[in-house]
Amino acid sequence: MAIGTNPIVITIPSHPRYLSVVRAAAHLAAEICGMGTSGAEDIKHAVDEACSNVIKYAYKCDITRTITIKFEDTLKGFQVTIEDSGCKANIDDIKIRELDEVRPGGLGIHFIKKAFNTVVFDKKKRNGNRLILTRYRNTDEAAISKQK
Amino acid sequence: MKIDTVLHSDYTVVSIAGEIDMYSSPALRDMLLTLVKKNTATVIVNLKEVRYIDSSGIATFVEALKKMLAYKGKLKMAQVPDRLMEIFNFSKLDKVFEIYGSIEDAANS
Repeated sequence: MAIGTNPIVITIPSHPRYLSVVRAAAHLAAEICGMGTSGAEDIKHAVDEACSNVIKYAYKCDITRTITIKFEDTLKGFQVTIEDSGCKANIDDIKIRELDEVRPGGLGIHFIKKAFNTVVFDKKKRNGNRLILTRYRNTDEAAISKQK
Repeated sequence: MKIDTVLHSDYTVVSIAGEIDMYSSPALRDMLLTLVKKNTATVIVNLKEVRYIDSSGIATFVEALKKMLAYKGKLKMAQVPDRLMEIFNFSKLDKVFEIYGSIEDAANS
């Protein structure tokens, strides 16, 4: 996948059993786009967490829906777009916990922000959600952490 | 994901293989909570064959740990692969769980 070429698009049922398919695709696409081994691992984890959030929050565990994931090599870097047709996500409703706070849940967003420089919900999408995740080219983990 | 449980006189070893994610973590939760219900004194989780863990898997371990601490039980991690250790470090769970290089070390501590 080179810059500007057709993206890779996959659509999965909103059942957690298909998250392994998303992880495999995310890892391979990130590696092909030159994100490096560690970067590809972080991206795989982040995309998995984002899709898990779609199942939990947008679809409220309805396993009969679909999630579409697009992987793209852009001038900015590696971009992942995750679309659903579920309830509008309110970033404030998604449980986030401080890393120092020890309790179950609330870690997913941290993994997403660890892997990507920008995490944006496209407000132009009327029904459902479109989450756009971008990892800039030639940025390492430390650089991403510094921006937060 | 595959889970094997071996009971010893002083501790129970739970060996997990594969990927722990939103799909598989409910089975892991059920198994750990079964041990919690029996007030198992020491549970050693062998993570050697685990290739992946997501936030639901981490939440499962945190929940089990909290429930075990309530009756002074111990939940120990052993043979944590490097990638999982990175995730534990990032989540600051390396400071919460007792982590050992081997099952023997965990059992003898």
